[in-house]
Amino acid sequence: MEITPSELGLVARVTNLTKSYGSAPNTVTALDDVSIGIRRGEFTAIMGPSGSGKSTLMHIMAGLDTPTDGRAWLADTEITAMGDSELTVLRRRRVGFVFQAFNLVPTLDVRGNIVLPFELDGRRPTVVEKDWIEQLIDSLGLANRLTHRPYELSGGQQQRVAIARALATKPDLVFADEPTGNLDSRSGREVLALLAAASASYGQSIAMVTHDPIAASHADRIIFLADGRVVEERGRSSAEEISRIMLGMEQRV
Amino acid sequence: MRAMGRGREHGSSILVAALSSAFGVVLIQVTGALSFMISADNIGRSTTVRMMLAIVAFVFIVIAVYVGSIVTVNTFATIIAGRTRTIALLRLIGSSARAQRRAVAAEGFWVGVVGASIGALAGTAMSIGTVRIAVAQSVVPDLDYPLFDPLIAAPILIVVLSTWLASWVGSRRVLTVSPMQAVGASGELSREETLSRTGRNLTAVVLGVTGLLLLGGGVLLGLISPLGILVGMVGGMLSFSGLILGSHLVMPSILRLTGRLLGRSASARLAAANALRYPERSSRATIGLVIGVTLITMFAVAGASYQDMMARAQAAQPEVYQGVDKVVAVTVAIFSVLIGFSALIAAVGMVNNLALSVLQRTRELGLLRALGFTAKQVRRMILAESTQMTIAAVGLGLILGVFYGWAGAQSLLGAQDGVGVIAPSIPWLLVVLCVVGAAALTLAASVSPARRATTVSPVVALAAD
Repeated sequence: MEITPSELGLVARVTNLTKSYGSAPNTVTALDDVSIGIRRGEFTAIMGPSGSGKSTLMHIMAGLDTPTDGRAWLADTEITAMGDSELTVLRRRRVGFVFQAFNLVPTLDVRGNIVLPFELDGRRPTVVEKDWIEQLIDSLGLANRLTHRPYELSGGQQQRVAIARALATKPDLVFADEPTGNLDSRSGREVLALLAAASASYGQSIAMVTHDPIAASHADRIIFLADGRVVEERGRSSAEEISRIMLGMEQRV
Repeated sequence: MRAMGRGREHGSSILVAALSSAFGVVLIQVTGALSFMISADNIGRSTTVRMMLAIVAFVFIVIAVYVGSIVTVNTFATIIAGRTRTIALLRLIGSSARAQRRAVAAEGFWVGVVGASIGALAGTAMSIGTVRIAVAQSVVPDLDYPLFDPLIAAPILIVVLSTWLASWVGSRRVLTVSPMQAVGASGELSREETLSRTGRNLTAVVLGVTGLLLLGGGVLLGLISPLGILVGMVGGMLSFSGLILGSHLVMPSILRLTGRLLGRSASARLAAANALRYPERSSRATIGLVIGVTLITMFAVAGASYQDMMARAQAAQPEVYQGVDKVVAVTVAIFSVLIGFSALIAAVGMVNNLALSVLQRTRELGLLRALGFTAKQVRRMILAESTQMTIAAVGLGLILGVFYGWAGAQSLLGAQDGVGVIAPSIPWLLVVLCVVGAAALTLAASVSPARRATTVSPVVALAAD
């Protein structure tokens, strides 16, 4: 009998994950035998320089991409065995996304974007879910922007809408891909504080991919990736410590 | 890679140019052959017949070229919107906006040359083939028909020039691209502005109102004299030009209306919003089809109403109107086929517009897939967009066509004994054909973009510009 990820307190887990592109002899290996777990209720940062494989890892964990080898679970569901339509429904119901480029639907207003995951599911939010959405809108400071279109909002505001959209369905796991990459430092800090607060107050599990030590310093736990492998793992650390680790990784290469 | 992309971008413009030029060449060659046949038969009247046939042919060629130009302007504008990032980058490096626009116009020139040449070859082959078949079937006498009519140079030249001009007009937006857009982070395109066009809007309204007044005057005058048709014709042309010029004021509301018919599901609502995202673009994409359907319907309704009135007049004075209805029926049928060709060109334009707009939304479709839109939902959304545009265009065209056709027949024949004011006769066969054609067009327009939208993986799509 296999131990399930949830018995280990994990919301997502990958074992011996490998992803390579192209055929020999020009194979590029993006992930090389990676095994990690994301703990339930924690804000985890996956750090690494460009080309370290962190985005590929996120894409596979979120069911957007398939590995060459290895297995991946979301909670107790093994997603590496799923077909496209099952993965689609899984993403819709159990995963949230926050992207670097915000990626809101330009034709929908703020409220339309936030409730989009429910609409895709062909249903209206329940009373409980509605309360939750209102609470999110309030705490993210979007109450007086609900009828605005994305192009009428600043970058920081757009990213807050994306966060509300990601949290609205109370997914098992929210993936944030460089969520501050397109923001000025003040809006960036706000966004990170909001993500950390969502994890601390609502117990939302979040996995954030980033190469920014300041962004990673808001996380409870930091996993370092380099050249497709896990090279280091830390608890909460300051930006200085994280920078030092990153520099150390550079020198080892 | 680049050249391949360009080929795909310009494929439909080349097709439109080729269709227009083939149409022109066939019309000129066939009318040429016809007048040759008549002149062999009867020498005295040949020049007049030749000229009249040529004039009729040119009227239809001009209509086809006009519709084709609207389609091409729209295609180029859409292509430019998709190239914003590249143009901005070139501007950043130091290219001037004018140079960029000239480059686009040069592409347009070559699209015109290539399309017109293909069309000329195809058209010549087709007309020679038609004449040969007609001779073989003994429909026409076996004469030494001229292989080349020098007049075919005219439609070819018109097509090249109009395509070139259309690419120039369609590339207007190049001038508004700022170099800063190259360094902008997100790939969203800026919204096209439709409001700051006071001059054009005013002209459209003035033309529309004046035209409608004249048309009404023509119908009233028609009750006294057949000369009412002249006033009515001017009114019809003015009001229709007003509609085309002001399409960006009219089409969005109609699209909004048809969008509501699609239902409230997520795919339907997103589709409805997408069709209205760039009001000017969807207006231009649909107005071509509106023109085509209006003209076909107008001829058919005018013809049917005409026959109706003839029947009444015939009842009053049987001996005067013997054999007229047959001539009218044949004329209407030929005119409808000729106009149908312009509708075909417009349909090509609409199909292409939808394909390009899906291509340019790769990233957004990737987002929807990432958020949990199934492939089926994406297909349904694109089909809904296509349905919305077709219903709007064909529906408006039918209504306008019935109105103009009725007004035409009424202003020409209202004064005949025993006619008076009649209700428009609607040729139901045509309505059925239009609905079937619209359904086919809807499907055709959505197949390839839907396939493309569902085969790209979300990861690749999200990384696209």
